[in-house]
Amino acid sequence: MPYQTLTNIRVIDASTGIAGPYAGKMLADYGADVIKLELPATPDYSRDVGAFPDGVSHAEKSALFLHLNAGKRGITLDFSTDEGRRIFIELAAQCDVVLESFRPGQMAEWGIGYHDLRQVRSDIILTSVTPYGQTGPHKDYEFTELTIFAAGGAMHREGLPDREPLRYGAEIAQYFSGTTAAAATMIALFGVAMHGEGEWVDISMQECMAGHPHQVGRRTPWIYGNEPDLRKPPRLAAAGMREPYAVGSFRCKDGYVSFLPLGSRMWPQLARMIDRADLIDDPRFRSPDDRTERREELESIFQAWFDEHTRMEVFAAGQREGLPCAPIMETSEALENPHFRERNYFVDMIHPDAGNLTYTGLPFRLSDAATAPNTPAPRLGQHNAEIYCNLLNITAAELAQLRAKGVV
Amino acid sequence: MKKLPLQGIRALELAEIWAGPFCGVLLGDMGAEVIKVEALQRIARGPVRPAPNTPGYPDYDPGERPWNRQGNFNATNRNKLGLTLDLTTERGVSAFKELVAISDIVFTNYAFGVMDRFGLGQEVLRKIKPDLIALFTPGYGNTGPYRGHRSMGMAIDAMTGHSALRGYPDLDLSHNSLVHHPDAVAAVTATFAICAALHQRARTGQGQFIDLSQAEAFMPHLGEVFLENQMNGSRRERRGNGHPRMSPHGCFPCLGNDAWVTVTVRSDDEWLRFCEVIEQPELAADARFATLDDRVANRNALEAIIGAWTAQRDRRDIAAQMQAQRIPAAAVLDCGADTYDDPHLQARQYFQLVEHPDAGMYPMSGPVWGTLSHTEPDSSQEEAARLPDRHEPAPTLGEHNDYLLGDMLGFSEAYMQDLERASVIGAVPLEGADMGGVRRFARERQGSAS
Repeated sequence: MPYQTLTNIRVIDASTGIAGPYAGKMLADYGADVIKLELPATPDYSRDVGAFPDGVSHAEKSALFLHLNAGKRGITLDFSTDEGRRIFIELAAQCDVVLESFRPGQMAEWGIGYHDLRQVRSDIILTSVTPYGQTGPHKDYEFTELTIFAAGGAMHREGLPDREPLRYGAEIAQYFSGTTAAAATMIALFGVAMHGEGEWVDISMQECMAGHPHQVGRRTPWIYGNEPDLRKPPRLAAAGMREPYAVGSFRCKDGYVSFLPLGSRMWPQLARMIDRADLIDDPRFRSPDDRTERREELESIFQAWFDEHTRMEVFAAGQREGLPCAPIMETSEALENPHFRERNYFVDMIHPDAGNLTYTGLPFRLSDAATAPNTPAPRLGQHNAEIYCNLLNITAAELAQLRAKGVV
Repeated sequence: MKKLPLQGIRALELAEIWAGPFCGVLLGDMGAEVIKVEALQRIARGPVRPAPNTPGYPDYDPGERPWNRQGNFNATNRNKLGLTLDLTTERGVSAFKELVAISDIVFTNYAFGVMDRFGLGQEVLRKIKPDLIALFTPGYGNTGPYRGHRSMGMAIDAMTGHSALRGYPDLDLSHNSLVHHPDAVAAVTATFAICAALHQRARTGQGQFIDLSQAEAFMPHLGEVFLENQMNGSRRERRGNGHPRMSPHGCFPCLGNDAWVTVTVRSDDEWLRFCEVIEQPELAADARFATLDDRVANRNALEAIIGAWTAQRDRRDIAAQMQAQRIPAAAVLDCGADTYDDPHLQARQYFQLVEHPDAGMYPMSGPVWGTLSHTEPDSSQEEAARLPDRHEPAPTLGEHNDYLLGDMLGFSEAYMQDLERASVIGAVPLEGADMGGVRRFARERQGSAS
């Protein structure tokens, strides 16, 4: 149920892929009127990415598109034509934000760059989301999730020392950049309300990842000691090698669990978790150094206990002792998780083509805001008549002409 | 100079490690006055007495005041004011409440229940200032059966489904590293949430309590995976660096120590250009690699050929050669020297040097977005300086006590001295302040025994 927090905000979302559209989705989740604008000849490529029901490709059934564009209205417009450009500008004059992800300079070439938009609306916010930003020697570089993740600084330390660096498990850099773009846009919107000035927000995915708090924190050993950022064995990767027999992920009876004890102070809790309070004062394991030295012995004691317990049993025992730990779940299991269910997190929506699906829900809840019904992602050009005729006063006859010319 | 968007907004931060402090950083970057409230009784600035020669301190030297020199803290707390207050005392809480009355925002990533124990639950805070925006972000949110559970980024990563998608596909999950990325997602989402609430407040005058579950903020980042499973009834196999619909798509060794490049080929056209770049046009005619399906099926053979070529070359040169043919490629940069020396980030003035009173000079990454609104239509964008430009180093412990309590709240010097004697305020952490867990554990054990 989208919140009605940003109800006075209208957005043109002309972006494609993941990062820009996710920023648009966050604005829509909180009540902005987000108009997804696609080129008729080359709609958002996320329509082709899938996955698709039963593996059959269909432009209205792509999981990626359905997820990222729920809650938006959809129109088509070829703004590379003169007529399309004129309509884009007219529409932008009625919008607070334009989101885009074209290569740097493309919008200006079409005559709809920041300076063109500012002519018709001085307080407009243009949020440009690109892999490397609008300036600098790499601004025209192509990207995929893998390459931008590599350029952002997180990949080099990820994985095992004797293997190739590894990326994360999903489209993480793009979603993170989209979230950053949403936050930046929101700050700019507040700035407009306070100071009346518009902004051209330049989001570089590389910078979003390079300025990520982990990179910032882990840059310090290099800053201060010229120490390289190396891949480490998972058990030894925690700072200070704290309680290495219990750091990382472990096989248990029905899957895997992850643990990160916060230093040697948690040794008694770990011992009690596996019902071995007798080990706490065992002279073999008394000091942190003892336990690091005998980590294999200890790990086998823990592993024997893990082997006898399920993920949820381990989780319950760990939580009883106040240890940061969690079961490794599939997304399909997260969907059934009783905690998320009790919080009524997931959202069921019926899409005319893709049918009934359960979507991930809102990223946060507000105490004092009204809500509105959920709406699924728009079909290509679904709201053309509604938006062109009601918002821009284009007549039905004119719209038919624009259709015939391929402008919409 | 142009006003920063959040100029005039005051926020109180009660936060440790990453998820909370980074939200404060983003608010501070954009002009808010962010007051970081810490306690002499509990610090998240490393050990009170680290051993000499400890990594993470300037010159490996923790110095006389290690809490002001710890690298991680200083890196993740720029553009804030520093205040100490013992919130387990009446006078500490009372001073905090006076600050709430003149603030716009209170945000915390403390575990569920901590604020209530201080007597600073959301109802209390919002009573002091009805249009306050309060954001509490425990790992699993403020309601539901897991609300009190211990979590860190790695736990959220596991519980939401991301851990199961990570790792080398040929090794089981026990070889996975721990990933805390959900912390960062929570921080940026919190920034968005606070500013959305500010926006509504500007329009309606309403305050807001924001319940942010770090798990719920992160799951939309896996949104299509949640749908995929329902559509196909199949679980997604781990992909490592590979891709089901692109090949080649991987990470390859290069000249030099631990030097790597990523290359991805998205289409048949790119494949033909790729064969030209690696000067092996015969590959384009090789039946094993003719179509995407062939290249995916024969991925190992293909990657061996590519790896042999990249191993003789410099990673940045390879990326530049590929990019010249519009093929996505990038050197794998580490988060230290590689990103700092990256010519692109340097050209964009991404890093700035700041001078810290106890930690000396260090480079700090910039705001994670820039604005270009000040550029002229005909000016070359390359000349555009990065704005906004606010680069204050992290505060030392209690650095702004006098300003905040004396100048702003008008506490008398005598009263401040009283507070200092009682360790309600101060600039030197108490013995054991880095070991909050142990003290709590001891207290709990005592409690259960009695």
